[in-house]
Amino acid sequence: MKRIQRRSSAALLLAFLLLLGTGVLLFQLITRGGEWASYNANKGLYAANGILACGTLTDRNGVLLAVSEEGDYHYAEDATVRVASLHAVGDYRGYIGTGALNLFAHRLTGYNFLRGTTRAKGNVVPLTLDAVLQSTAWNALRGQTGSVLLMNYETGEILCMVSSPSYDPYGEPDESIDGLYLNRALSGIYTPGSVFKLVTLCAALENIPDIYERSFRCSGTLDVNGVAVTCSACHGEQTIEAALANSCNCTFGALALELGGDTLAHYAEKLGFTSAHSLDGAATAAGNFDAVAERDSYLAWSGIGQHTDMVNPYAMLRYLAAIANGGSVQEPTLLLGNSNGSTRLLKAETAERIDEMMNYTFTTHYGTNGRFPGLDLCAKTGTAELGDGSSHSWFVGYCHSGAPLAFVVCIERGGAGFTNAGNVANTLLQKAVELYG
Amino acid sequence: MEFYLAELMEIAGYGRAIFALWLLIRCALSMLREKNEPEVWAYLERSDGSSVPIHNWECLLGRSRSADVRMESKTVERTHAALQRSARGHWLIYNLTSAGETCLNERRVEGRARLLDGDVIRLGEETLNFIDLNAEQRKTLQRKRQEPGRRIRPGITLLLLTGFQLFLALEHAITAPEEYVTAVTGAFIATIIVEWMFFFFMRSLSAKGFEVETLAFFLSSVGLSVTASSAPSGMAKACALLLIGLGLFASLGWWLRDLRRVKLLRWPMAFLALAFLGFNLALSQEVFGARNWLTVAGVTLQPTELVKVAYVYAGAATLDRLFQKRNLLLYMAFSAAIVGAAALMGDFGTALVFFVCFLVVSFMRSGSFATVLLSVTAAALACGIVLTAKPYVARRFATWGHVWEDPLGAGYQQVRALCALASGGLFGQGAGNGWLRNVPAADTDLVFAMTAEELGGIVAFCCLGAVVVLSLFAVRNVGAGRSAYYVIASCAAVSIMMVQTGLNVFGSLDILPFTGVTFPFVSKGGSSLVSCWALLAYIKANDTRRNASFALSKKTDGDGDHQDFGEADEYTDDAPEELIEEPAPEQTPAPAAEPAPEPPAEVQGETKGEEP
Repeated sequence: MKRIQRRSSAALLLAFLLLLGTGVLLFQLITRGGEWASYNANKGLYAANGILACGTLTDRNGVLLAVSEEGDYHYAEDATVRVASLHAVGDYRGYIGTGALNLFAHRLTGYNFLRGTTRAKGNVVPLTLDAVLQSTAWNALRGQTGSVLLMNYETGEILCMVSSPSYDPYGEPDESIDGLYLNRALSGIYTPGSVFKLVTLCAALENIPDIYERSFRCSGTLDVNGVAVTCSACHGEQTIEAALANSCNCTFGALALELGGDTLAHYAEKLGFTSAHSLDGAATAAGNFDAVAERDSYLAWSGIGQHTDMVNPYAMLRYLAAIANGGSVQEPTLLLGNSNGSTRLLKAETAERIDEMMNYTFTTHYGTNGRFPGLDLCAKTGTAELGDGSSHSWFVGYCHSGAPLAFVVCIERGGAGFTNAGNVANTLLQKAVELYG
Repeated sequence: MEFYLAELMEIAGYGRAIFALWLLIRCALSMLREKNEPEVWAYLERSDGSSVPIHNWECLLGRSRSADVRMESKTVERTHAALQRSARGHWLIYNLTSAGETCLNERRVEGRARLLDGDVIRLGEETLNFIDLNAEQRKTLQRKRQEPGRRIRPGITLLLLTGFQLFLALEHAITAPEEYVTAVTGAFIATIIVEWMFFFFMRSLSAKGFEVETLAFFLSSVGLSVTASSAPSGMAKACALLLIGLGLFASLGWWLRDLRRVKLLRWPMAFLALAFLGFNLALSQEVFGARNWLTVAGVTLQPTELVKVAYVYAGAATLDRLFQKRNLLLYMAFSAAIVGAAALMGDFGTALVFFVCFLVVSFMRSGSFATVLLSVTAAALACGIVLTAKPYVARRFATWGHVWEDPLGAGYQQVRALCALASGGLFGQGAGNGWLRNVPAADTDLVFAMTAEELGGIVAFCCLGAVVVLSLFAVRNVGAGRSAYYVIASCAAVSIMMVQTGLNVFGSLDILPFTGVTFPFVSKGGSSLVSCWALLAYIKANDTRRNASFALSKKTDGDGDHQDFGEADEYTDDAPEELIEEPAPEQTPAPAAEPAPEPPAEVQGETKGEEP
């Protein structure tokens, strides 16, 4: 009998597996219960018309963004705020997948682990967005296709997230418009152009010890195995600092050749450009960087944000916030009072050097002629050529002083980065610094 | 008035959660913590004067570490001999070795021989005196054993269950459609009356352990609540099925008391199981892709549920048969037929339940990992064939882990189950207040989520806990089990329950592939409920706590009202006649070709037919 007694451990193993499964189930229930409960088949949470039954979304100052009572719903009172915030807030009819109404459904309805949704009477959920800045950014875009992101790099709060084109959720969407339901700030990927030089710069600073002692010569073109990589001008002899300010293709093309495709790819990955991120549960699109093994013109072009490079605006925002914040990014959030923790992307020392150079670029190039009155920025432009004569217009950066704000403006086929996206950024920042400076 | 009812529902919600948890804890403490000293049936006295108590009806003698009576001498084989006590109280010694020597009173034992008080056993060079206990001695020893329920009284636990059921009845009385209020509350009251009558009836038979039954009644009450929510018109039928299940539990338990008559029915049971499945394969109709439903005279049956009971019955074995390879092979063939039939029906979940039960039983019988590995490999191959041949099953596998990607198609049920589970919280939306009940198979395959939604996470996890406690209890009793038959049967029964529970709960919640098996006692369905109650009899038959189980024979208990040791010779035992009449068997060695562990066929009596 003793022998059979030992063998009965087979049944004990089953009991153990059952308990193990229960553990897994409990863990999932605790971590994902809110998400499960807020699925729209839940008759306790969704009114008969499939509309979330309760809950109120406001901006950071209490301005109403969306509210539902028993399926009777309303959006922001101001039409511009409604249109500007559509992608960030989402809609009750469920066209926008990554909106706050979906992301925070369980908070809106009042789910908690102990009570499930049995006490779901509806909560007020304040977002980090500022309705005024939403309108400002929307108006500044003047109907152009693109996206605007503004965040507090010390807290991670996203103050402004606008995607264009958009529509008034009270009206009917025009289905013929391409990508109308897409939040371009989270789901778009674009050729970065010169803003990618910030990535090449980071790799160069950490891998070329004598970079400050060097002098970079620009004759207007860089010859790589007989193929010319062209520059916007003939910049002559420059320091690395001046090369960034000049946005010199010859210099950064040569740096890319020196660093090699693998190193660049490593930095693109490390700095968060090739992976998908999650903004409070909304997945963002991953960018692209192909490591060119040959020392040829493609490698040079990939180091200056052309070739097959693709960048997601949200990933760019994280990188800028990290530079501004001493190398580690306070992960962004849309939920007021929430913290998603921080992630270190680059060394504090490197961040400080990039900071100096971006500020130098701004003060010597962009900020002259009173283009950005009263602002002290660290910034970089990008004019990403698409090969058909048009280009994406980028302007990215953060406030060097005044207010802890990082921004990304990306306008599809918007022409030159400095003039177009730069103007949008200026309009938005003037308002933001006035409010939060 | 509305306000008042809502408050009442809320109080009932807290009440049932607390009572469920409390009664589960009480049952667990009583079943898993209270002492269960093994019974003593006889002694073996060693040559150095020390004596070894014999705790089971079947025990192994040898040099092996796992022998019940261990001897150090090199002249003793690892597995040398076995002692076995018949239900009538006769002891037999079996020689299990061909190399060593087993002697009884200096006569060589080939096969087996009858043992009497004072006999001298010699294994190799070791001698042992066999001391049988008479009724008086056994009675004294039994008295010293602790009775269950002294510290944790089963009556109080049953009172808690009654409270739980009254809360459920109250909630359903509030939420049920008006025309069903009487039927629903009536069903709960009837269950309460039945369980108390059963409780007092058992006490009158001086079977005082009631925890196993309490847990089963608890699970059945949750099942009743599920029926009340999903199909309130079926309440009377659900009650009737509970009574049938209880009846089967009591009669199977009574039948299991006597191993001799248990053995009589093993072949018929095996045959019945196969015939039932074969009949089912030929005639059944397809429901949800599985050909597992049989309608006989207006009653819909799920034959595989009832086959489980027969499978356990025919699959367990007493110790003397465990050492015969042929028996294990027969059992494997029988199991393959059963598992194969279930798979052919397209009922993949049930096939898996049988298969895991087979693994547990075959491992307990043989102790061989090789057998288990071989079986798993064979099953994996068969599985691959099924997956290619049955796209219905393959689709379910493809959905596994991806239910949220197709919430309107393949993941429809699981997504809604997860949603309902989470929205119930710990205390539930209230009995009868859920919406999951409108989703197909909510009251069977998704029953865990439906329970969690309406009765709350605490009650739902208590149901899971109840199955685990029953299983741990069965395993815990293994050491004190009287016969390997009871031990194997109870472990097989709890294995079936655990696999079903695991597949039901984790399958519907996307932790495992969704196979659609029932949760023991809780899922709606007559065949399932009845078979679970019957399986419970196997657990009860191995509950050797003093005066705990009606399924143990009182006659040989030393504690019961009538003793029949003196009358033993009136009965024909399972030992061959000549052995009973002549205690010391003839000395002529068996023919050399005869395998030693196998008693010679001509003296084998009724054991000629091998077990499946």
